[in-house]
Amino acid sequence: MMNPMAAWQDERSVAAPAAPLDARRLRAAFLDLYGRPPLLDERERFAGRGLSELVDEALAGETFWRNWTDEQLYYFLLIDNFHPADGKVEAIPKDLAAATIGVRDAIHRIAISSSFDRRNPGPDTFVTVVMEQLLGLTVQSRVRDLEIGKKLYDGGTGNFLGQTGRSQADVVNIAIEDRRMLELLLEREHERVLRATPDARALKDWTRRLERDDRDFATILREWFLSPAWEARLDLRVPMSNRMFVRSLFVDLADRLPADEEGKRMRGALDGLADARPLRSVLARLILDSGRSNVPEREAITDPTTWVAGVFERLLGRSATPDELATFVAAFHDPECRSTTVVYAVLSHPNYSTW
Amino acid sequence: MTRLHRRRFLELSTALGAGTLLSNTVGARSPQGKTKRVILVAFAGGVRTRETLGTPANVPNLVRMAQEGVAYTRVRAANLGHFGSSLSIFTGISEARGIRENARGEDPTLFEYVRKDLGLAAGDVWISTSGGPQQANYSHSLHPDYGERYGANTLDGDGIFNAEFKGILDAYGKPRLLGARETQLLDTMRGAIASEGSAGVNDAETLAKVEQYILDELSKGTVDLRGTGAADAKALRVARNLLAVFRPTLLGVVLQQADIAHGSYNAYVEVIRRNDTMLGELWAAVTSDPELADSTSIFVLPEFGRDSDLNSRRGLDHGDGSDDLRHVSLVAWGPDFARGRKVLEEVRTIDVCPTICGLLDADAASARGKRLPRLFG
Repeated sequence: MMNPMAAWQDERSVAAPAAPLDARRLRAAFLDLYGRPPLLDERERFAGRGLSELVDEALAGETFWRNWTDEQLYYFLLIDNFHPADGKVEAIPKDLAAATIGVRDAIHRIAISSSFDRRNPGPDTFVTVVMEQLLGLTVQSRVRDLEIGKKLYDGGTGNFLGQTGRSQADVVNIAIEDRRMLELLLEREHERVLRATPDARALKDWTRRLERDDRDFATILREWFLSPAWEARLDLRVPMSNRMFVRSLFVDLADRLPADEEGKRMRGALDGLADARPLRSVLARLILDSGRSNVPEREAITDPTTWVAGVFERLLGRSATPDELATFVAAFHDPECRSTTVVYAVLSHPNYSTW
Repeated sequence: MTRLHRRRFLELSTALGAGTLLSNTVGARSPQGKTKRVILVAFAGGVRTRETLGTPANVPNLVRMAQEGVAYTRVRAANLGHFGSSLSIFTGISEARGIRENARGEDPTLFEYVRKDLGLAAGDVWISTSGGPQQANYSHSLHPDYGERYGANTLDGDGIFNAEFKGILDAYGKPRLLGARETQLLDTMRGAIASEGSAGVNDAETLAKVEQYILDELSKGTVDLRGTGAADAKALRVARNLLAVFRPTLLGVVLQQADIAHGSYNAYVEVIRRNDTMLGELWAAVTSDPELADSTSIFVLPEFGRDSDLNSRRGLDHGDGSDDLRHVSLVAWGPDFARGRKVLEEVRTIDVCPTICGLLDADAASARGKRLPRLFG
């Protein structure tokens, strides 16, 4: 059977560049693809080039799939102490990038991991989560299926969702093979990437494609990114997750990603707040005041107007309006204003936390 | 129907001697009306009465609270998963939510009712949690008439106040204090940015207070609480400290770690005992403060119980539909309540929301529960 990844990899070499990547598109595309803004060298490399080039490079690489896997783990709340440490789950990004597995296999590895089992202890919780999170079913209206699933979990034999099974692993296997699993996955991903509920007919078509070969997901993603729907998504700003905020803060201020432990702890702390702004603000100030950011000293800025304009483009992905520019430059000239004060004003504004 | 202003409605009802005409969700104030603050502890994670009021040695503080207050021993709960069942306590509606669903509900919570009807700032309504990101969703609903602008400040003690996070912050040093002029410049610049984001739960003043509180709390002993049930212990410790700093009108506490019972009955009992100790600390903070002692009411209840029998791992699951699972105990203590009363008639976990709203003079407009019977002295 032909490798679908190979198909689009051939196609990309002849694909015409889509809309050129201006500041907004570049920032949005990186946040969508990698869960972070572009690093300095990436900004220079991709500015003005076509979106298709960026998407093609991302889908062929492990970094994109690592971010995708992390999004899936968060969906199943397999975070902090429940973050899977076994080799099979760790290998998902590499195997997806190499197209040796598809998304169905990837979700299967997650659901049969010991972390998933520990996170969802006992037959009632385990089967309920499989039915809800993998298939999108409302368990309260499917009590019989729940009871049969629990019987399988305990080693009994039964017909669970139309398939015969006799073990806890079969509960997962049956759900993974169910087309509703693919449908729900596509629906979730469509909403994440394009911020819209998918059209029912299109959803059926995509599901059929994944049923034939679940590695086709990369091609579907590529189509989404290069469609008018992605252009339309640029006008729909949504709040950043805390994970994305922490990663963005480090990239924007220090041109690097946080260390794993650093990022995990910061995200965990922010996740504990319904309104994370007070702690987001503390983190931004900590990095700015630590001297570890790449914000230049005030004395080193010879052209404040150009510098402020650059701060807006880089941190908000858009040009400053004339009023914004005038106010910021006037503030900058006040002796009490530091360069970090200007950056902090942008970082602590709600717009920075949306994308 | 045009809604009468609440206070006017109550005045009319009293004048007409029509108290009994009040709806289930309106006017639960006691004749004395001393309660000005409420602490609601969701002793959650699935806790049976057998290990609480049924074994007084496990929970001496809860037992004392019951002896000085009202104990409801037949409180019907629905096993809708921990998330949905705890949410049901807050909304007064049975909430069928996914166990791992990480999203806000549609129905307003008592936190929103109280903030909106009493015109409170976010610093007056708090939730202290122990169950991670999912529980931040208790802050507010997506209901168009309530929602984020009436949400509670929600804080997960274990996520924030842990040694590892503190260590990371310490490595960066401390944020520099901003001078008055710099703050003014900052506000001017922020105000100039064309806004596209939401207003959030907090106003600017409360945001600054919360920011300072977090920095202060990181240097206190909460960070050092460790061992089995530490996350719950932190939630109760944070609640105690919030009480001292913000003196909130409504303070929710959501525990979760009794769910360790799936794998170990002994650890489950250990969590219950530790939580009772921490509950005692919180209660002492109330009773030792003359202002709080005479104005604070406390409610304590689990979201549901657990199975009758041990599983193969010598733990306790929650899925057998037994009486142990479906009925829990509720303890209510406060200046307006009866003392030493045991109520045997069946009530529901969803009755708590309208009861608390009534006490604080708020209207739990969408709640489907009823006010708790035989509560007042």
